[in-house]
Amino acid sequence: MLRLDWYRPVLLFLWISPHALLGVLAVVLCKRRLYREFPVFFAYVFYEIAEFILLFTLHTLAIVTREQYKYAYCATLLFSIVLRFGVIDEISKNLFRESHFLKMAARRALQCVTVSLLVVGALLVVYAPGSNNGRWYEGVFVVNRGAAMVQCGLLLALLLSSCFLGLSWRRPAFGIALGLAALTSADLATFALRAAFTSEAAKEILNLLMTGPYLVCVSIWIGYLLAREPKPASVAVLPHDEVETWNTEFQRLLRH
Amino acid sequence: MEHGISTLAPALIATWSLVAVAFLALGIVVYVAIRSRTRRIDLETAVQAFRSLDIEAFRNLIDSAEEAFLRNNLPPKKFREIKRQRAWAALIYTRETGKAAAALAVVAQTAQRSSDPIVAASGAKVAENAFRLRLQTTRASLQLLTDIVLPIMPSRPLPLFIDQYERTAQTLFRLGRFSSGAHGLPSSGSV
Repeated sequence: MLRLDWYRPVLLFLWISPHALLGVLAVVLCKRRLYREFPVFFAYVFYEIAEFILLFTLHTLAIVTREQYKYAYCATLLFSIVLRFGVIDEISKNLFRESHFLKMAARRALQCVTVSLLVVGALLVVYAPGSNNGRWYEGVFVVNRGAAMVQCGLLLALLLSSCFLGLSWRRPAFGIALGLAALTSADLATFALRAAFTSEAAKEILNLLMTGPYLVCVSIWIGYLLAREPKPASVAVLPHDEVETWNTEFQRLLRH
Repeated sequence: MEHGISTLAPALIATWSLVAVAFLALGIVVYVAIRSRTRRIDLETAVQAFRSLDIEAFRNLIDSAEEAFLRNNLPPKKFREIKRQRAWAALIYTRETGKAAAALAVVAQTAQRSSDPIVAASGAKVAENAFRLRLQTTRASLQLLTDIVLPIMPSRPLPLFIDQYERTAQTLFRLGRFSSGAHGLPSSGSV
C-alpha cells in the first residue's frame, strides 16, 4: 500500500538532501575556522558524509545483499553514536570554559546525569527489549534507543542548566546543541517505535520519520553557524570600576 | 497467548512512554530556542530584580529566634501551619534572589567579553560569584522545601547572606542609576 509513486522520491530526497547540506556545513566550518574550536563536530560532519556515500553506494549496487547492507548500516550507525557523545562532551566543555567553578561543578553533575540515564537505558533494554523475534538487527535499534535517550537527556541537562544559571552560550555551540538535541529526541521516538514495530509497512513509515528530522537538524546547524556572533557590550556601558564594585560586593556576599 | 500479551504490553507501554518523552524533550528544545531569541536582560533590569526584594521581611521569615518563639507559644498544629506558610514565603524570596543572580550573571558575562581586558577580568569574577550565589539559593530552596514537608523538624540555618545581600542590592541600585545607558545590553543568552 505504501509503495506509491511518491514514496521512493520522497525517501531519496530526505536521505540525500541533509547530506548535501552537510557538505555546505563542512565548507562553513572550514571558512569560519570553527574546526579549531569544534574538532569533534567537524570530524562528525565528515564522518556522516562518508557514511552516506558508503551506504548510498551499497544501496545502489545490485551485488550487495540486504544482509550485507544491514551490517554496514549498523556498524556505521554505532560509530556515529560514539561520535555524538564526543560532540556533546565538546559542547559542554565549550559552555563551561569561562568559569572554573562551573567546570568543576558541571563535571560532577554531568557524571551523575550520565550514570542515571545509563541505568534507565539498561533497565529499558532488560524490561522492554522491543520485538522478541530474535534478530540481531532489531537488537541494534534497542541499543540505539538507549543511546538516544542518554544523549537527549545530556543535551537537555546542558540547555536547561544554562537557562537556570544564566550561563551564556556562544552562538555556534548553542546551534550545535540545539540541532543535536532535536535530532536525538526525534531519534529516541523513532528508534523506540522501530524496536517495537518491525513489520515492513512500519519500517517504511519510520524510514521517512528518521530522515526528516535530520534535514531539520542540519538546517539548524547551518543557520546558527552562518549567523554572526552578537557584539559584546561596549566598555562605555559597563565601566570596569563599576564591574569591580559589583565583584567586591559579591565577594562579601559569598564569604560565608 | 496470554503469556505473549502479558510480555508485549510492558514493551508497548515503554515504547509509547519513550515517544511521549521524546516529544516533551522536543518541546523543551523549541522553548529554549524561542526563549534565547526573545530574552533580553539589561543592567537596570538586573539591578531592579535585586532591589525589588524586601530584605527585612525575608530576614524575619528565616529568623530562628522568631521560629523558637512561635514554637513555644503556639499549639503544635498551628505552629506547623504557620511554619509551612513562612517557609513558602521564604522560598519565593529565595527563588527571586536566584533569578536576580542569574540575570546578573548574564550581564557580567557580557562584560566578560569586553575588549578591555580589565573589564573582561572583572566581569569574569562577577559572573563566577553570580553562579555561586545562584547555586547557594538553590541549596537554600531545598532546605526550605524540607521545612515545608517536615515542619516539625527544627530548621537548619540558611546560608548567611542576607546582610551582605542588602549591601549588594544597594550598591547595584546605585550603579543602575548611574548606568542609565545600559538599556538593551545584548543578552548573552540571546543567541
